[in-house]
Amino acid sequence: MVATIVETKELLQTVAASVIAGVGVTIVFSIAVYGATRFADLSRDDRPFAATAAIVTALVAFAACIAAVVVGIVVMTHK
Amino acid sequence: MNSDLVLVIVVATALAFDFTNGFHDTANVVATSISTGAAAPRVAIALAALLNFAGAFISLAVAATIAKDVVDAEAIDSLNIIFAGLIGAITWNLITWYFGLPSSSSHALIGGVVGSTVVAVGTGAVITDGLVGKVLIPALVAPILAFLIAGIAIGFSYRIVGRLRPGPVTRGFRFGQLISGGMLALAHGTNDAQKTMGVITLALIANGNLGSDASTPFWVIISAATAIALGTYSGGWRIIRTTGTRIIKMDSAQGFSAQGAGAAVILASTHFGFPLSTTHVINGGVMGAGAGKRISAVRWGVAGNIIVAWILTLPAAAAIGAAAYGCTRIFGTGALGPVLVSLMGISLIAAAFGRRHQRGSPVPAS
Repeated sequence: MVATIVETKELLQTVAASVIAGVGVTIVFSIAVYGATRFADLSRDDRPFAATAAIVTALVAFAACIAAVVVGIVVMTHK
Repeated sequence: MNSDLVLVIVVATALAFDFTNGFHDTANVVATSISTGAAAPRVAIALAALLNFAGAFISLAVAATIAKDVVDAEAIDSLNIIFAGLIGAITWNLITWYFGLPSSSSHALIGGVVGSTVVAVGTGAVITDGLVGKVLIPALVAPILAFLIAGIAIGFSYRIVGRLRPGPVTRGFRFGQLISGGMLALAHGTNDAQKTMGVITLALIANGNLGSDASTPFWVIISAATAIALGTYSGGWRIIRTTGTRIIKMDSAQGFSAQGAGAAVILASTHFGFPLSTTHVINGGVMGAGAGKRISAVRWGVAGNIIVAWILTLPAAAAIGAAAYGCTRIFGTGALGPVLVSLMGISLIAAAFGRRHQRGSPVPAS
């Protein structure tokens, strides 16, 4: 009875999308913060190659966060 | 003509509810940004109002659920039923606002409409499948999901940035909170404004202005978006204090993960037409972010009071909605009942605001 009332498929899709977006974006943004912070530290220590790698990591991760937000909004508006 | 006057009163009352919804829920949207210092209160509230407005245009799935999946629109033989439901929701919202409890505006609305419908036309008009499958089960799942997501996310986040200097990390996540807080405000606008759109659409269907399969008119969308944005801008300083600092003292990484979890759950649910409570979800996220760091960091006593308010909301709003229908029914099925109840309600609201104003603002607005 309950199984027929509950929209199981939609609910599971909601759970999956929420977990991927909620946990994923936080992890990727943490990587961006890590990269930016390491860039500052490595630049101060005069390690340009490592600093460049850190800032590239930060920028890629930040771009991925923005992309996730944009994709989320586009998906919302196309139903 | 008589039913058109009642329709005007119902639409005005629905927009008033939308305003109180924004007013009441401001705290849920901006409290984490304010408590971590990511944004000044006035900036956070203005941004939230703007994104609430924008969010209202993103989707109509929740509006369709409210209009067609909670009560049978064709069984509603009087607009007074919808009016009474709205009165139940507004009254409960103001009671919980007055006592500083962040209860659910959404469940107050659904509870109010269900209560007045049951009293007016019986339980047969309630669509049990829709109420359980699209409202009650998601209502239970959503805050738990936000709790778990925020808890897991903050765990990963601390593993990644835990050994770095705290200053830059804090600044980084404060910047991130402008994005996560913005997404939460957008999510709030898209889910909550649609509930008012749904109720107005339900009234238009019940009054014969729209067919039962009609979609929400554009004037309904823009008026609901405006009302919730104005309500949000008007703020809810008293509730900000409960959500932002009394549940848990947060750092900016926790604020980011709480807001991210809340936004993800609300947006995903909205996509499938689940009318969630932003209050439930963001409080779940806040508690999850706190528990992910240290279980004892969460003030479980305050969280318990909020949970009690959650549990009470549906039956309390239903009871008030039923009582409001009883009051309007004394004066027949015409416009006199809604007019008199509206005047009484406005007087009570003015008295509550006056009393609130005399006691002073609990949190400075700058």
